[in-house]
Amino acid sequence: MGKLKKFFQYENVGILFVLPAFLYMLIFVGYPIIQNVILSFQDVTAGNLVRGTKNFIALENYLVLFKDDVFMTSLKNTLSYTILCLVFQFVIGFALALFFSKRFTLSKPIRGILLVPWMIPVTVTALMFKLLFATDIGVINYILRSLHIIEENIEWLTTPGTAMFALVFANVWIGIPFNMILISTGLTTIPKELYESASIDGANKVQSFINITLPLLKPTIESVLILGFIYTFKVYDLVYVMTSGGPVNSTHMLSTYSYKLSFEMFQYSKGSAVANVLLVILMIVGSFYIKVTTEGEDD
Amino acid sequence: MKKKIVSLLMVMAMSVTMLAGCGAKEEAAEAPAAEAAVEEAAPVAEDSADAAPAAKEAVTIWYYWETEGHQVALDQIIQEYNGSQDAYEVTAKYVPFADFKKQLSIGASADELPDLAILDSPDHASYASMGIFEDITGKFDVSNYYEGTVNSCTIDGKLYGVPFGVNCLALYYNEDMLNAAGCSVPTTWAELEETAQKLTTDTVTGLALCSVQNEEGTFNFAPWLWSTGATSYDINNENGIRALSFIGGLVESGAMSKECINWTQGDVMNQFISGNVAMMENGPWQIPTMQAEAPDLNWKVTLLPKDSQNASVLGGENYAVISGGNVDGALDFLTYATAEEQVKFMMNQFGYISADQTIAETQFEADSPYQPFVEQLKYAMPRGPLAEWPSVSDAISLAFNKVITGAATPEDAAAEAQATIDGIVK
Amino acid sequence: MDEEKKVSKKANLMLCIFSVIILCVLLFPLYWALITSLKTEQEIFQNPPTFYPHILNLKSYAAQVETGDFNMFRSFGNSFLISIGAMAIAVILAVPASYGIAKYRFAGRKAMLLSFLVTQMLPVSVLLTPMFIMFKNMHVYNTWIAAVLADATIGIPFSILILKNYFASIPKDMEEAAYLDGCNRFTAFIRILIPIAKPGVMVCAIFSFLYAWGDLAYGMTFILDQEKRPITAGIFNFMGQYGTKWSYLSAFAIVTIIPVALIFIFMQKYIVSGMTSGAVKG
Repeated sequence: MGKLKKFFQYENVGILFVLPAFLYMLIFVGYPIIQNVILSFQDVTAGNLVRGTKNFIALENYLVLFKDDVFMTSLKNTLSYTILCLVFQFVIGFALALFFSKRFTLSKPIRGILLVPWMIPVTVTALMFKLLFATDIGVINYILRSLHIIEENIEWLTTPGTAMFALVFANVWIGIPFNMILISTGLTTIPKELYESASIDGANKVQSFINITLPLLKPTIESVLILGFIYTFKVYDLVYVMTSGGPVNSTHMLSTYSYKLSFEMFQYSKGSAVANVLLVILMIVGSFYIKVTTEGEDD
Repeated sequence: MKKKIVSLLMVMAMSVTMLAGCGAKEEAAEAPAAEAAVEEAAPVAEDSADAAPAAKEAVTIWYYWETEGHQVALDQIIQEYNGSQDAYEVTAKYVPFADFKKQLSIGASADELPDLAILDSPDHASYASMGIFEDITGKFDVSNYYEGTVNSCTIDGKLYGVPFGVNCLALYYNEDMLNAAGCSVPTTWAELEETAQKLTTDTVTGLALCSVQNEEGTFNFAPWLWSTGATSYDINNENGIRALSFIGGLVESGAMSKECINWTQGDVMNQFISGNVAMMENGPWQIPTMQAEAPDLNWKVTLLPKDSQNASVLGGENYAVISGGNVDGALDFLTYATAEEQVKFMMNQFGYISADQTIAETQFEADSPYQPFVEQLKYAMPRGPLAEWPSVSDAISLAFNKVITGAATPEDAAAEAQATIDGIVK
Repeated sequence: MDEEKKVSKKANLMLCIFSVIILCVLLFPLYWALITSLKTEQEIFQNPPTFYPHILNLKSYAAQVETGDFNMFRSFGNSFLISIGAMAIAVILAVPASYGIAKYRFAGRKAMLLSFLVTQMLPVSVLLTPMFIMFKNMHVYNTWIAAVLADATIGIPFSILILKNYFASIPKDMEEAAYLDGCNRFTAFIRILIPIAKPGVMVCAIFSFLYAWGDLAYGMTFILDQEKRPITAGIFNFMGQYGTKWSYLSAFAIVTIIPVALIFIFMQKYIVSGMTSGAVKG
């Protein structure tokens, strides 16, 4: 007992604060992760899902994947989609956060209303953009035509390259409020006095931004980017509703392909393997994030 | 705030109980004893409802029709059945089509399935191979049923289901548009191509058919493929390539919109009744909606134009009894629901054709818009039956999507699909 | 609050005009959904498109009220209940956890932080089957509790990652002052730190609520009865194999958006000030 008491003195008392949340996640998500890893080393399909032996086939599901064109496309798609979305939504979100941090009559109400895109269930947003990007009845084509930017209607969702663009566009629309609000909240943690004393010292706005805002926002920016990365990387609903991975598999993501394999083609183990590839990539990115954010902390 | 904390504690306590439970389950997934232990360990409120003196045994049905008319019709049959006897109480649960395969897969893993499922016929073989369906050979007389429908629920000579009702695809045309363009009703591919091009204007495309890259698209492409004499498993030949080229050519000439790869059959119908499409390939279940939504539209149905032979595809649902559930109850309801009176009622409400050939032949008046479908049904073939049908279907739908979008030539698409199919069907 | 510099009158006007333009551009998709929901199907397919409904059609809204055994109002209530539950769990668990991670350098801290990150990396599809089996064993399958428990798993790690920055940005001396006043670590956390981190807690609560509100997969998979399902499940009543109607779909979109948007606009004063009245001074 004495030992235990000693252990929970000083810094280790922190564990008590973290433990409830940790256990919760361990139960509900940790267990499925392990299940999924096991499944990916087996050969489970419709025939042996319920009965029959599930053979251990080691890495075969993974080896097959790397010869699978659709898998390679989904891998590339997921990466390029994530990076494109992240860049645009972060830059626009950051700009808006700075803009609305100015005090003018409408700054607060409008910033509040701009959160609305974030409140809409993603499936609903996806439907809205499907309507906007439709070839003949879509208003985006109509606007572009009226502005004489295009002559002929663009077949947004039925042409591989443009379908990807439409997905990125929709995702950026959802992501802007997310970035804006998190950065706005981060900005409030920066003491105003710092800017005042900087301007007394003769710093201009750009200098204060680079010397005060960015360094002090670093933790917020890191969190926003990593969370943005994770949520974008495992995108599912949006793609499923807008393109279902089409046309001709050109917009499949790891998550949609995994779903398709598992629940549409009954190749459960192969689907799990795809999900695990996604997980491994995210874990690498995640470890990198932890390393960067905890660097220089006194351990 | 206090209340919140209390409820939170309850939740936490439950999670712990559950963790113990699922550990046990994992160890012995196939031992029923473990199952019982779990049940015992956690006596929960829900059990008390079951414990109450229930004179009637519960029978659950899963189905996926989102159309209100279908739900209401099924519900009416169920209510009548529940009122007609004292042994069973049937309830039906709606599981969306997009979720149906997933829910059955998960339900099979978790041993949480209904007693009866009404499912899409091409998927029947896959589920049957999971071993979740009861063998009902000899329990139903299916000798009068269309051969294709019985085949769709037969695996290795054993009957794993009963056809609910059938449909097939035929050609709808807007008669006013045809008359205005001075066209007659096309009966061959060449005529169809010519007519579609004549009917295409700035605001109207000649032909539409759902070409989504999934089972629904394969369903709509199959008649064209089969009309050439090609089969679902043998595409990389003159016939298969001709079918792909024909559809590809229609899109290229503008007589069919490329948007078709995003249009479900419902979207195609909406385009048709909005006057944006002059002809469409679609099924009889659209008729009730079309009559209600566009009562003034002057349309008719005819056989699908043919290449070398008449062809259509068999669609519809099958009933399947889940093994391990309330088999007797499910069979009892099924006997009731497949009797002539109930079948006639449901088929008419659904816009389906009875799977029972003797009923189907007298189901409609001679001038009914449904009658051409009965005629078309003579040439309709089922998809599969094959446990790996979803993978074959995926290869086929990928092939015609590649051709429609111009991502591959018909020759390359056919060769690629063949390679995939050969890997599945040895 | 007063230390912020007020902008001049002219600048104020320009900024207001500019912000309204931003608003219009960003919310255009919503406007389009709104007018589409009020058009007839024929008008939707009209080319060129109309920018306001020429014939007002309210049929699509009437259809929302009851289609089959799906009821809009009841499912709205379900969604609300599920979202509140998930939010409560997420906030109650995430606030102390993020404080622990931000303020203590205990053994295994980095590993825990990484594991919180990892738990939100799995695509929903692979979580469904194992979770389903768990909920079945817990006897919460087909109840709203299953959806609450599952939805909270989205909010918890998110909230921890956001909140830990808040707690980290609170100067040590504020905490130490509390100890001098006789607080121990737990009372200091509750009395001093939580009030300071209020904007962060607010954001986490909102996001947890909205994640649960937007969830479709969990609600659909773990709840089988139509009458217990969340509002997002209604989408399947309109978007299926046998018919897609844009007027119905966009009416559905508007109906799902309006209640939440109203709550947020109504409570905006509290939410926005809660989020931005940065309490960290000095």
